[in-house]
Amino acid sequence: MKTITIEHLTKRYGEQSAVADLSLEIDEGSVCGLLGPNGSGKTTTFKCLLGLARPTSGTLAVHGAPVTPHTFETLAYVPERNTLYEWMMVFELFNLYKRTYKKYDAARAAELAALFKLDSRKRIERLSKGQQTAVALTLAFATRPDVLVLDEPASGLDPIFQRVVLDLIIDAAAGGATVLFSSHQIGQVERAADRVAIMKDGRLVLDGNVDTLKGEEKIVEAVFDGDAFAPNGLATDPRVRRIERNGRILRAYVRNDSADVVRRLEALGPKAISVYDLSLEDIFLGAVSDTAARNGEGI
Amino acid sequence: MSAVFTVDPGSGVPLYLQLIEQVKRAVALGTLGAGEQLPTVKALALDLTVNPNTVARAYRELERDKVIETSPGRGSFVRSEDGAADVRHAIEDVGASVLANAVREARSLGLERDTVRTLFERALERWFAGSGPEDK
Repeated sequence: MKTITIEHLTKRYGEQSAVADLSLEIDEGSVCGLLGPNGSGKTTTFKCLLGLARPTSGTLAVHGAPVTPHTFETLAYVPERNTLYEWMMVFELFNLYKRTYKKYDAARAAELAALFKLDSRKRIERLSKGQQTAVALTLAFATRPDVLVLDEPASGLDPIFQRVVLDLIIDAAAGGATVLFSSHQIGQVERAADRVAIMKDGRLVLDGNVDTLKGEEKIVEAVFDGDAFAPNGLATDPRVRRIERNGRILRAYVRNDSADVVRRLEALGPKAISVYDLSLEDIFLGAVSDTAARNGEGI
Repeated sequence: MSAVFTVDPGSGVPLYLQLIEQVKRAVALGTLGAGEQLPTVKALALDLTVNPNTVARAYRELERDKVIETSPGRGSFVRSEDGAADVRHAIEDVGASVLANAVREARSLGLERDTVRTLFERALERWFAGSGPEDK
């Protein structure tokens, strides 16, 4: 069952296109990590999904229907910039949530506040940026939501608290919640997410199961004495998705059987040749890199 | 828990495959005995800080490979001894592909067959030294 459905989302601000024809479906219980360079449209996508920005075109739904104020009873959104009432003290804000959310779990909130070492007698405005994020996250997880949308949830947190955030996401997912989060840190996505979506310039450039994407391809790297060149026909081989050349090094991203590609490159007499498994970072860089020699370019 | 698992998200190997391999290895080596219980999906996911679906997928495949069995409400358990034999074959497959890679790399460095064999023998000497003929 799909918890989040985004179909052909386009959002333009004046002439500027922030998101272009983005479609994404997220299964119930799945954790989807949204990766992309700054300005690639991640936050705009979140805002459209949550009804905080009006899409230029396209449809968005959570549990099959557009988000309404009522939906927020079971959905938690932690924006990248804090939108907390800064004049409140931490405990006052907690009390406000307790009165507002039916499913608010005060014991859980206290537990998380202790985990993040929050001083409940402090005013929000007096907290560091990281601590404000911790407050927002505590409140989000304490409402026991079915759906979590987290925009850069670990930014501004130190590594220990970043790990706490990952634990919280995993705990929520183990309890059946669906999570969509954006991150700059590929390592976080690699651990917590079972699904990755990569955006660039407002478009979805790659989307899939993390393990499947990793298993699908290998990198065959050959080092030559002189400038690297690809053998005839390699670029048009359907198994070769991409070829990168950098001076004496040639890298081929190969699907399925890499042994044949290795043999063909070996025939050119390289100094060395190795086969690597793809990390999520390779996948990410491959998907967003500008200089990416598309198949055949310049060969 | 008698067996401790770890995963390396940075390596290109899918996390669920890393887990499968470690469970199989633990069973083959006897660190995880027949009938022994594995941690729950949730506990292991939290322990390793990995997505629960990743752990669940590893368990599903281990079940399909007849390494473990899962009974609803009770948990996942290592299957009987004959399961361990299958696992040993699986470990050999892993070993074979690791060695094949090493040999291929050595060849691509321009080494001759006999040199590779000598180096291989030397590595065997070094790592199996004193472990007896049965490698125990």
